[in-house]
Amino acid sequence: MASASDSSPPVAPVGEPRDRVDGRAKVTGRVVYAAEAPVRNAVHAVLVSSTIARGEITAMDAASVERSPGVLAVLTPKNMPKLEYVDAKFHAEKRLPLGDLRIYYAGQHIAVVVADTLERALYASTLLRVSYREEPPVLGLGDPAAKIEWPKGEMTGPLQFEKGDVDAALSGTGVVTVKQTYSTPIETHNPMEMSATVAYWENGKLTVWDSTQAVVNRQKALAAVFGLKPDQVRVLCPFVGGAFGCKGDQWPHTFLAAAAAQAVGKPVKLMLTRQQMFTGCGHRPVTEQTITLGADGQGRLVALRHESKSDDSEVGKHIEPCGAGSSAIMYATPNLAYTHRVSRTNIASATFMRAPGENPGTYALESAMDELAIALKMDPVELRLVNYADRAPHNGLPFSTSNVKECYRLGAEKFGWSRRNPEPGSMRAPDGARVGWGMATATYPAHRFPNQARIRLMLDRDGGVRAIGAAATQDLGTGAYTVFTQMTAMLVGLPFERVKFELGDSNLPPGGVSGGSATTAGVGQAMSEAAGKLRQAMLKRAQENSGSPLAGLTPDQVVFQGGRIVAANDPSRGVELSAVLKGGPAYIEGLNEANPAGADNLPAKQKAYTFQSFGAHFVEVAVDERLPIVRVKRVVSVMDVGRVINPKTAGSQVQGAVIMGMGQALLEETHYDPRTGRVVNDNLADYVVCVNPDVRSIETYFVGEPDLLFNAIGCRGVGEIGITGIAAAIANAVYHATGRRVRDLPITAEKLMRPA
Amino acid sequence: MNNFSYILAAQPDEALRDWTGPGRPAYLAGGTNLIDHIKLGVDQPQRLIDVRNLGLDQIEALPGGGLRIGATVSNTALAYDERVLKDYPVLSQAILSGASPQLRNAATTAGNLLQRTRCSYFRDGLSPCNKRQTGSGCAALGGFNRTHAVLGTSERCIATHPSDMDVAMITLDAVVRLRGVSGERTVPLQDFYVAYGEDPAKENVLKPGELITAVDLPATEWFARSYYFKARDRASYEFALASAAVALDLREGLVRDCRIALGGVATKPWRAHAAENALKGTRPTEQAFRAAANAELSSAVPRAHNGFKIELCRGTLMQALQTTAALA
Repeated sequence: MASASDSSPPVAPVGEPRDRVDGRAKVTGRVVYAAEAPVRNAVHAVLVSSTIARGEITAMDAASVERSPGVLAVLTPKNMPKLEYVDAKFHAEKRLPLGDLRIYYAGQHIAVVVADTLERALYASTLLRVSYREEPPVLGLGDPAAKIEWPKGEMTGPLQFEKGDVDAALSGTGVVTVKQTYSTPIETHNPMEMSATVAYWENGKLTVWDSTQAVVNRQKALAAVFGLKPDQVRVLCPFVGGAFGCKGDQWPHTFLAAAAAQAVGKPVKLMLTRQQMFTGCGHRPVTEQTITLGADGQGRLVALRHESKSDDSEVGKHIEPCGAGSSAIMYATPNLAYTHRVSRTNIASATFMRAPGENPGTYALESAMDELAIALKMDPVELRLVNYADRAPHNGLPFSTSNVKECYRLGAEKFGWSRRNPEPGSMRAPDGARVGWGMATATYPAHRFPNQARIRLMLDRDGGVRAIGAAATQDLGTGAYTVFTQMTAMLVGLPFERVKFELGDSNLPPGGVSGGSATTAGVGQAMSEAAGKLRQAMLKRAQENSGSPLAGLTPDQVVFQGGRIVAANDPSRGVELSAVLKGGPAYIEGLNEANPAGADNLPAKQKAYTFQSFGAHFVEVAVDERLPIVRVKRVVSVMDVGRVINPKTAGSQVQGAVIMGMGQALLEETHYDPRTGRVVNDNLADYVVCVNPDVRSIETYFVGEPDLLFNAIGCRGVGEIGITGIAAAIANAVYHATGRRVRDLPITAEKLMRPA
Repeated sequence: MNNFSYILAAQPDEALRDWTGPGRPAYLAGGTNLIDHIKLGVDQPQRLIDVRNLGLDQIEALPGGGLRIGATVSNTALAYDERVLKDYPVLSQAILSGASPQLRNAATTAGNLLQRTRCSYFRDGLSPCNKRQTGSGCAALGGFNRTHAVLGTSERCIATHPSDMDVAMITLDAVVRLRGVSGERTVPLQDFYVAYGEDPAKENVLKPGELITAVDLPATEWFARSYYFKARDRASYEFALASAAVALDLREGLVRDCRIALGGVATKPWRAHAAENALKGTRPTEQAFRAAANAELSSAVPRAHNGFKIELCRGTLMQALQTTAALA
């Protein structure tokens, strides 16, 4: 795999390509994940799941479970302590677990068995006798029994939108139209680390080790549900073994672990099985999207309509904002409409999965754009350039920065796009396989959640200065530890080696969810503000010495530089940090103020600008003539995500997202039995994701400029954009190779074999 | 997971003796299949008799040529054995196309012969399954059956036999050596597996307690011209959608003799007699290869989601035949 992220001009100012600070500890097995929490005498909880998809529990006989050796407690809807459903915004579902006897989906938790060992808990859990009154489950978007909703949209912006007159524009003379329906199946996150919770109570206080994307949200939700004050709950999560969205919201198992710990008066460990990961912490819902494009003779879009359907359980809260995440943003058009519809089904609750909305939305829109390019006999890159938007079509606000044209240019150059013969089926590999080249645009919004952070400066035993940055944020395996160590070093002017960063503990300065690619930008802004406070504190202390070279300067007039605090306009005027710290308190600290808007008042800027990242993927596939199994041979991905702190970890994020997108395009689908609604392929042998031999050359490049309107660091986040557009680029390449347009993912052999 | 006892047997006869006793016994070798089934609740043996210490882990040359492969020779050791690589390349290729290095290090030769289906309705421990619970029905028939069998099926079971190794072994005329309380016997591998027939739970001719001690491969010179080809969704670590093992005796431009077996499409490792008969005596042309594949697949029965496997298998077999014929 080649990565050239640090070598190719023109690029945004990037930081150093650092190795992960936790890399060695990870590969030597020395980091502690939630299930490995250093908690003594933990007992084990096992979840019992519903085997039916819809109905009601009519009887539960737990007598033999309770008598089974080692069993300490059995929680069922009958004896589950009454919890309060409050602070709804943090919950993944609209109900609390074991709160009633209703069954909404197969795999729903119906009991918790706690025993002294995992084996005894597992065995005892098989003894629970459950009777159900079964009802026929509602399965699939096409099920006529499904309840239909047309959500308005709160967090996502309007979900039912029309600007101009799409129908009138489409019927205009000389308008070339494309109208097609694209569908994506349910996909399951499947991080390596299964969700796990270790919970214990001490003197009325609850401590929880949880594999989570949001320690502070977990703390707030647990406190609310158990009737505690937030400071009576501590949530720890120093490391996460992958999440992709399935650890973002509060799922029921965390409550159950805490309730079980309360019931038995001992620490309780609860880990979802791989099977339970398919039903207990969400998935990307099924989508069906109809795109209608109309273009004039020059390829300019005169109208765009994007109708999107997705599903969720009756107790789920997720809407997949396909159109709002793609058509609302990507191309200039005077007439734009998009709608979103949710069907209530008896499939486990859905949730965010890497680029929710943007991912399936770009698959549909970018496939349709390819079909339009073919209808117009235009080059796909040219069609996108013609429709370049300098402002978001849905709100008319200019992008703070947009370098998508440069993404196209550099991507095409690195890929060799100019050598493409547009005729489908015209290109061959040396072994005779059909070769296809496809491309698509990537896009993802810039999000930032309110955060606090602190930086402490202190004297080390060796007399040197050390900095420790800290925030209650999370490292999902993305490299956040490393990036924030670099950022701290940059902000205080110390070498990387003299800096540490702490995260994953709700006792640290509070922050938001590590989701929406928001962590680097949100924590980065907080860190920048904290550095300002630190400058203030250090200057104040420095000025206490009579004759300080910094006398008379204000905090705005000094900077940290090379281990010193110096006058910004005259770096020779300053003092060593060690001199300032000497003889003082154990450390001097900067902590930014709690301010939801940030010191830079982001909400005000969001009234004037759209903050959005763009990129482009170029893909080569090979398809054997006789056995139409698609292999991705190479990918070139160019992204503009603002400032890149660490091109190595950022490049890894794009590569990882591309690989995940390859899986989505060609392999991944969660299958359900059409009668029972139970997951059929709930393991990693049957839910097929990419493995190493599937991954050939993936080159990643970054272009653009720091987005200083968005935050003081200038970064926009990089976790999700790589998985937008990639499935379309692959589908477009498959069309180019074979002349076959597959409009339902994944593109498996049978779909390329079925009659045209 | 239920409690079970564990016995480490030191001699084959000791293992046979240990078989009789209270509670359901099971032989344990690599455990890559059995332990899964215990965890999933598909199988609940009460006594595990570990057969890894019986001294059956050697590959020996037979006096008249050929190889004797001990029952507990690991898949890895077998795949990288120099004699196998040279004389039976199809076997090495088949093994290395399956599972992962870690699984191949643990899995054994006899264990692989007894590998059970990946049918998710069998493995969920819950759905109607004639293989798991006689007479309960077959959930796969009306369920999601994309990976299920198209050959050798019945209205009682359409579960696919998942092995790669066994498909190659069948083409190599392997003979299974068995040992029971009443002595030793040998069974050609192609007769070792039974058609599902009345009772899909009955997969082979093993008698209760009978132990596989070795697999013999005959010395057949032209088996050196053999090849395994496997089609699957991803490039590695996946069971076959379709696979083909082929050995060709090519002389003077004619297929004098051949062995063909198919994997991933049948309820047992599928010796393709009809294809062999169609190919014998013909010139190795694309037309002949297609005719051979057609002869075998004319009896294939598609279900709701696996019809494509017939066409995929046709392509897989033709690809395997072409490549084998082109071998130097």
